[in-house]
Amino acid sequence: MKFSYNWIKEFVPTLDLPAEGLERLITMKTAECDGVEKVGPLREGAVVAKVLEAEAIPGYHNQKALVNAGPYGIKTVVCGAPNCRAGLSTIYVPLGTKMVSGVLSDGMLASAAELDINKDHDGIVELDGSEGIPVLDHAIEIDNKSITHRPDLWGHHGMAREVAAITGHALRDVVDMSRLPAPGSPVEVEIEDFTLCPRYSALVFENVTVQPSPLWLQARLMAVGLNPINNIVDLTNFIMAELAQPMHAFDREKLVGRTIYARPAREGESILALNDETYALTPANLVIADASGPIAVAGVIGGDGSAISETTTTIVLESASFQASSVRKTSSALKLRTDASMRFEKAQDPRNTIRALARALELLPILSPGIRLVGGLADCCGPLADPPAIPLDLDWLGRKLGRPMDAAEVRGILESLEFKVDAAFNAAFLVTPPTWRATKDVAMAEDLVEEVGRMIGYDSFPPTPPLVPCAPTYDPPAREFLRHVKRTMAAEGFTEVSNYSFISEEEARRFGLKPEDHVRVLNPIAAGQELMRTSLIPGIHRNVVENARHFDHFRIFEVGHEIHKQADATVKPLERPHLMLALFAKDDGRAGLLELKRVAQFLAPGLEVRAAEAKPFEHSTRAADLYWRDAKIGRLAELHPHLVEAGRASVLDLDLDLLLELTPATVKYTAVRRFPTSAFDLSVVATAREHSGSLEAAIRRLAGPLAEAVEYVREYQGAPLPEGKKSVSFRVVVGAPDKTLSTPEILAIRDGIIDGLTAIGYELRV
Amino acid sequence: MTELVDTALERIHSSANLADLEAVRVEVLGRKGVLAQLSKDMGKLTADERVARGKFINAAKQSLEGAYEALKSKFESAALAERLDAEWLDLTVPAPGPKRGALHPVTQIQWEIEDLFRSMGFSVLDGPEVETEHHNFDALNIPPDHPARDMQDTFWLEGHHLLRTHTSPVQVRGMEKLGPPLKMIAPGRVFRNESVDASHEHTFYQLEGMMIDKDVSVGNLIYFMKTLLTAIFHREVTVRLRPGFFPFVEPGFELDIRCLICGGPGCPVCKQSGWVELLPCGLVNPHVLRASGIDPTEWNGFAFGLGLTRLVMMRYAIDDIRWLQSGDLRFLSQFGGQTA
Ligand SMILES: [Zn+2]
Repeated sequence: MKFSYNWIKEFVPTLDLPAEGLERLITMKTAECDGVEKVGPLREGAVVAKVLEAEAIPGYHNQKALVNAGPYGIKTVVCGAPNCRAGLSTIYVPLGTKMVSGVLSDGMLASAAELDINKDHDGIVELDGSEGIPVLDHAIEIDNKSITHRPDLWGHHGMAREVAAITGHALRDVVDMSRLPAPGSPVEVEIEDFTLCPRYSALVFENVTVQPSPLWLQARLMAVGLNPINNIVDLTNFIMAELAQPMHAFDREKLVGRTIYARPAREGESILALNDETYALTPANLVIADASGPIAVAGVIGGDGSAISETTTTIVLESASFQASSVRKTSSALKLRTDASMRFEKAQDPRNTIRALARALELLPILSPGIRLVGGLADCCGPLADPPAIPLDLDWLGRKLGRPMDAAEVRGILESLEFKVDAAFNAAFLVTPPTWRATKDVAMAEDLVEEVGRMIGYDSFPPTPPLVPCAPTYDPPAREFLRHVKRTMAAEGFTEVSNYSFISEEEARRFGLKPEDHVRVLNPIAAGQELMRTSLIPGIHRNVVENARHFDHFRIFEVGHEIHKQADATVKPLERPHLMLALFAKDDGRAGLLELKRVAQFLAPGLEVRAAEAKPFEHSTRAADLYWRDAKIGRLAELHPHLVEAGRASVLDLDLDLLLELTPATVKYTAVRRFPTSAFDLSVVATAREHSGSLEAAIRRLAGPLAEAVEYVREYQGAPLPEGKKSVSFRVVVGAPDKTLSTPEILAIRDGIIDGLTAIGYELRV
Repeated sequence: MTELVDTALERIHSSANLADLEAVRVEVLGRKGVLAQLSKDMGKLTADERVARGKFINAAKQSLEGAYEALKSKFESAALAERLDAEWLDLTVPAPGPKRGALHPVTQIQWEIEDLFRSMGFSVLDGPEVETEHHNFDALNIPPDHPARDMQDTFWLEGHHLLRTHTSPVQVRGMEKLGPPLKMIAPGRVFRNESVDASHEHTFYQLEGMMIDKDVSVGNLIYFMKTLLTAIFHREVTVRLRPGFFPFVEPGFELDIRCLICGGPGCPVCKQSGWVELLPCGLVNPHVLRASGIDPTEWNGFAFGLGLTRLVMMRYAIDDIRWLQSGDLRFLSQFGGQTA
């Protein structure tokens, strides 16, 4: 939202701060300013001038004009405008001399666009003799977000009230309510629901001349970012920018009947709006209608059928108030945000409608000379509640802000913002907010803390250490565990990456996941980011492929949430934190897989690898499920060569919630063995693709309770073993807690293992 | 006799290596060696002669053994020196095995700030990334159709869920779980539906903080923020509070810090203003307390939000936010060497 410095100054005539200084004060006390810019910098030094002679320059499109530039004297100016002609009254800007089209040109004749008066750059300004040049202005840009809660700050009068309160200058009200006529309009108003439309006021005028607005008014609109159109439309925009009250003008001759209705749209109704778009309406949309149907979408946009045109001679000027949430819903349903809807959705004060009409009564005779009011005021209004008084305890206020409060200071601040302050009892006030602050913004004592605090300036409250009780903090165990996991990964050489939570349908399919099993984003930022990831693999895979362009080998990891859809979509999706590791190298991939296994066992000592059928994106013979304490906690696999062409990538996926759950919270100590253990080796002959893990498990089972450890030693293939066979050697360590085992006892265990293995078909090499 | 001993000494000295020397030792000092020969006829000697012979043999033994030991030690030193020389190693070759990995800079700054808060007695809480409308908006005093919802462009999911637009919902969850008085922070990933460019991301990290107690004042808030920011930036910072609108606090503030680059006169980083907008904060709105089951007439407090991604970019002067989610090791591997 842009504010014109000159406009604010009209409300605060004694204001003596320049725009830049004012911007800083507004930022510190009211709302965030995004900067100040000059409006019409060329107006500085510009004067009204008369073209004395104009002649074409042979060979050029330009003309050479002799101009009476008032205080600057007679000047020769080269001008390209087609309307430059002798006798024209226009605007001269002293810009210095330069050669143009072979002629030394001194200064320029300006178009209205060059002077920021309007967007017309087809020719130079044509003055009718009665008008001066709009003076240089400054636009102060306010961040819309910072005035979301302030309906009053969407107009210059409201901002001027803040400025007056901040600077201590007097505020002038430009509205003269005595201009309002008595009730009795040629139009009737019917409001179906006062909740949706608390008030609808209107005036009817005849003998209207639709023409351009005076330059000063056009310049004002341009300064705040509104385009001048014609005097009637400009009037509604001008008053909106001034008083924050949106208005609308209908061509009365195009209305059917003499009653204006504010009612929900009927099923099947639609409207061709001023922007040439047709909108289908539903009963959720409030409309303004005549006997024939909708003539405006209430608070959002007018209809094309009743729009002001050059031939309009009678108008109905609407000034109404609509429910904020209703306007907002309609505006978002129609995907149409207008200057009006933006203001209404902030909850405008219904008391403001007739103030806007009073202001129009003052301005219209200037904009459209000869205009006549027809009849009196139409004003249909529901019950307007008075804002309740808020008790404000000064001691409490002081405790909130951090220093004792002075009653006179507090009263002065609140009254400068037009709050009504009554003394109650015991250093307490009863504070009544003004109606324009009570629609949404100010309702409780905490809101008054802000009013007082910001006007005093927060920097004047001394920083004070809080006095709080001391207690141990609540620390979810998962947090420390997560740090342990991440630190371990970094220490093992893995670098942490962070990927988006969004994946595409194609990515889901590429990794064997069904798009319909994913939580869908209803408004994705871009195509390809429409699903919530149920696995970290798509992001990790992309990281592998991209980094493989720069590195021959690398290790990465990510910790992130998998988001799983519930059978019932209204139940919140399940979030599972996972750890995924990837190791890339340009080799045969063996070492990488085993390295990932080692790292997994670092986190989960004793973790078991159980061979599993490969998924389509995995290497067909290099995939396994990971089990720990009999729970499946992850997967280890090499990615299929189709997915990683530059080398080999192994990936490890671990469910961190399960890992944490299975990690013991404390250590259970068992007494250190006092008697020596003994060891013997066994070599088992098996088929080449037999898993050593299952041999180890078999030996462990056969060895019985006295086996302390069964360790894989090595394996061997080749002569004298037949083709397709291998020999795997294990070392078995045995011992008892209460004695040293005798040689016959050890041999008995050994024979038991050998007999057992033989019985299930294995041969042993001794 | 003397001749015999001299010959034996010569034999010892003539050994070329340790093996030679060992053979000579057996020959000279062994059971059939010179000393043994000299003792052979002792029985035939007179008492005086025996004493003289004994002295001679002892002297000869000392001399021969000394020569042997000296030479042995010389040979052993030479052999060791030779072995060590042969073991020459080029230590400038690269060390095998993986290089150290790096934690993501956001992880690092998050931990640093978590530790800072924990040292001040704050609990660290987590919350889900998928939120309900209630926790993300309603309970934070942002009802449906409130224009404040425009301030945070939201990713909506099927089933009326959404991706949290801020970590503030964890405030609500924290109040529900811990009750007053409480001091908590909640770091985490948040989402805004806006297009990505050098300074905007739809996925970034925030840290939410809250303190609920009795009579918490604006003065307390300012003190706390100054302490916190001094610790974060490792230097004294000047702060200012100005009004800011956030529905979940009342009054609400924008906290600015004196530009750390130019110190005040103005530079491109602070857009020539001398101040950098750093964090939104304020006294917790009574509606929010009430929605979480806390009686606002008894308790109040302050809340604030810190942009972790912003802090990372400020600390390392990163000019393009997109690096953080890029997964590019040319960027990420730079963050592995520092103490913190
Ligand atoms: Zn600066």
